[in-house]
Amino acid sequence: MNLRVLACALACLAAPASAHAFLDHAKPGAGTVLQVAPGSVMLLFSDDLQPESGVTILDSSGHSVGTGRVMITGNCIMAPLRRLGPGKYRVVWHAVSMDDHRTQGAYVFEVKP
Amino acid sequence: MHILPKGAVRAAALMLAAAITASPGQAHGVIGQRFFPATITTDDPFAADELALPTVSRFDHETDVEFDYSKTIFPGFAIEVGMGHVNIHAPGEPRARGFDNLEVSPSVELYRSPAHEFILTTGLEWEVGGTGSRSVAERSSTYTPTVKFGKGFGDLPDSLKYLRPLAVTGTVGYAMTGATSEPRSIEWAGAVEYSLLYLQNNVRDESFGRLVSHLTPLVEFRFSSPTDGSGTTGTINPGLIWSGKYIQLAAEAMIPVNRASGHGTGFIAQLHFYIDDLFPHSLGRPIFGGHK
Repeated sequence: MNLRVLACALACLAAPASAHAFLDHAKPGAGTVLQVAPGSVMLLFSDDLQPESGVTILDSSGHSVGTGRVMITGNCIMAPLRRLGPGKYRVVWHAVSMDDHRTQGAYVFEVKP
Repeated sequence: MHILPKGAVRAAALMLAAAITASPGQAHGVIGQRFFPATITTDDPFAADELALPTVSRFDHETDVEFDYSKTIFPGFAIEVGMGHVNIHAPGEPRARGFDNLEVSPSVELYRSPAHEFILTTGLEWEVGGTGSRSVAERSSTYTPTVKFGKGFGDLPDSLKYLRPLAVTGTVGYAMTGATSEPRSIEWAGAVEYSLLYLQNNVRDESFGRLVSHLTPLVEFRFSSPTDGSGTTGTINPGLIWSGKYIQLAAEAMIPVNRASGHGTGFIAQLHFYIDDLFPHSLGRPIFGGHK
């Protein structure tokens, strides 16, 4: 009986682990100054994401410049953009990892005239 | 043959069942856009599921090997237990070695502000007198009510954006020992840290590799100021923390601030496990009241 309890405990401990999803790589990256406007924002995370994750890209007056279609696949979020003019843009993301841990972040990139 | 008493096994099974059915709680060291790594000289202000095993230090003719395990009971409330082995080898004196007293430290998160990357926590550190070896541990208990805080500077204006990766943590406690011969003291400690991950992700993409971007250079300090005026002692500890997905590694030098604090530069190093990430569905959850 005791061995069964112990085996159950070990089986639970051996369940596959997941972790916080931290941003690993972004394109365009934080603080980047671009000569050509990007067609999308792509964020790669350290762990797979749940569909509740998301990203919003805002212009300097706070209006969204996304197309409204955000794709989440594995550890990647991709947001196509409308045609961007010169200016600064703010990327605001939130990530929900497979173990329900939440992380968030924001950064700015710039498109030069 | 029974290795453990029957009651102990049942209690462990019940606790395990409670842990499995509970929901995830607050994340270790994350508030707003900020990740605070677990500092090794000072207690960080997060009530989290984590394990430090081992923490090894060598300073002023003393070598310590310690472990600390912190378990969330409710979201925002954790109890930490710790114990260590002490080896004192002062020149001209007989060597003393043995286990130090058990330490039990409940802590409660009082206030969190994700927008300002700020957290305030209070707790009690209880060194349980008489639980360690007579040769190295006090026979009387020490109680230290403590206030801890963490603050990230992500809310600084654009003109100071390169200071946004900075964060500070601190603790202030009042140590009351049961031994009449020992003075009471103010225990104060803290850390100033600069997160390369924050710099990379929130300020400017420096194209750091994964190894470099997960580094946090920091300076920790820990002081003790006895109330009888016998003089403040302590160390200043510059070092590095590397934070991975499930573990972190940290190493710091220990520099005494005055002669009374010790002689020569020592070191402290730690392997730390994020239990909430390693076992998100069992040991890494609060036992009661977790929520998604």
